[in-house]
Amino acid sequence: MKKYVEDLDFRGEEHISEWTPWSPQDIRRKKCALEAARLMMNSALTAPCSGAAPQIEGHIVYGQEELEAIARKIEEIAHKNPNWKEPFLYEAVMARDSDVILFIGNTRCHQTPLDGGCGLCGGTLDCGYFYNKKKHKLGLVDNTDRSSTRMIDGPLCTSRVNDLGFAVASALWTARTVLVDSRPFASMGIAGQKLGYCPNSGMVVGVPVATKSKNAYVDVNVDYHLINMERALDNARKIYQTTRIIRGFDYRKWIPKPK
Amino acid sequence: MGHLFGKDYSMDHLLEVAKSIALAVHKTPQITGKTHIETEIIWGDELDPILAVMEPMALMFRFVHWDYETIKTCRERGESPVIVAIGGKADRSDLAYNCGACGFDTCKEFNAYAKDQGSGGGQLGGPSCNWKSLEYSMAADWACTAAWHANVENRIMTSLGIALNMLGYMPDCNSKLGLVLGPPREMVYYSRDDVRKIMSYELDKLDMIRCIPWQFEGFPGGGNPMYKIKDDWWAPPDFMNVGYSEMAMDGMQKILFEIVPEIVDKYSGAVAERYQKAQKTKKK
Repeated sequence: MKKYVEDLDFRGEEHISEWTPWSPQDIRRKKCALEAARLMMNSALTAPCSGAAPQIEGHIVYGQEELEAIARKIEEIAHKNPNWKEPFLYEAVMARDSDVILFIGNTRCHQTPLDGGCGLCGGTLDCGYFYNKKKHKLGLVDNTDRSSTRMIDGPLCTSRVNDLGFAVASALWTARTVLVDSRPFASMGIAGQKLGYCPNSGMVVGVPVATKSKNAYVDVNVDYHLINMERALDNARKIYQTTRIIRGFDYRKWIPKPK
Repeated sequence: MGHLFGKDYSMDHLLEVAKSIALAVHKTPQITGKTHIETEIIWGDELDPILAVMEPMALMFRFVHWDYETIKTCRERGESPVIVAIGGKADRSDLAYNCGACGFDTCKEFNAYAKDQGSGGGQLGGPSCNWKSLEYSMAADWACTAAWHANVENRIMTSLGIALNMLGYMPDCNSKLGLVLGPPREMVYYSRDDVRKIMSYELDKLDMIRCIPWQFEGFPGGGNPMYKIKDDWWAPPDFMNVGYSEMAMDGMQKILFEIVPEIVDKYSGAVAERYQKAQKTKKK
């Protein structure tokens, strides 16, 4: 009965806008993006995979501090590899510009391989390439030593990695279907994994979601880490304020008019 | 004016759907934007060499067996499916990520190993850069999703990928999978009706005992449990015996290194010739 009364009272209004950032109307917008990310995660879980083995986990992350932490981790990683530096710095900006970041990981690729002898990892007719490079007993992989300095502690079962690809792609298809902006990122995946997201996974891909007027993940300019909306706005605040203080007048008594 | 009958136009339309799926494959988002992806559409008599390679392999692998029987039965019934072949080149890395996912510290070391090992190794064509392989599989997933959205009966098949690899389809790719499309009815490739003639209670039970033996395990306290694989399982009891199987390994050896290569020899020339012709036309 109570539910029926509540249903009769189904009314309300929600102002939604991307401006100003982190305002109530912007947070409502972000919540819509969060719903899309949740649907995307569903799609990741129902994607095809080898042997139908459960192996996909996800982490949905949102909030100003959380996204900032991810962006800073990407920046930290960017400076560790000259080949990553510029693209990863650009992608850190994209992480900040996101509403939600969905991390999708594979929980088996480093630990419980397909054991199918498919040869995808090392090109051999058995799983020797994987097991010979891993600590294991009777094929049971010992991953308790987490001191590897590599970005990803390989080798991985590439068949399982492919299953991760299926999951990520299904999530992206749903993003396209519900018309939210999204793209897959290695930088966000590696950073997310280092921060402890998808804690049981051997490989993680970051799939950010944004619902802004301009797609956050395409059409960037050069030096995007230095010239972007956040920086441009901050610069506007800096320049405009200074412009005001150097030419003040008493508007109550006189306002200059065009001649 | 016109009048289209029954399933005939549906089968014709499969080709058009396959083309749309191929477009979706090439539109798949990538992380690196550097992974080479190819698609080909194969149907009609062109399926015969693929089925010929799958036939002996079906004796060895149950998943090939089921795929082979289903495609063959559809073909015999005049409902020949269409295959979208999806290929990717993941056996070298031009990414310089040096991420370690492949097991080497640097992409340079991986590339040296891959060069030494040769491409297209194993059943599915490794070694692979994991980021590139991931992107390849993303493209394969979009093929499946495109088929799903088109409401076309479909299933992505490793078995087809192995056959395509062996016959030399898409020579510039090392990873290959086949997405089989049609015929237009439900449950062709899932809960398959067409495997009735090869399926039996005994075969299924044997698979279960071999694949999930703990389901049939008796009291383990003695250290050598009995297995309940018949109603009066205690009289006399059965025990698990794990060991090298000469029969299984010899069979695999014979199929993979004698029978299949003979079939491949028969057809691969014609397949290669097609690519050479296409190459010449491209040059002109």
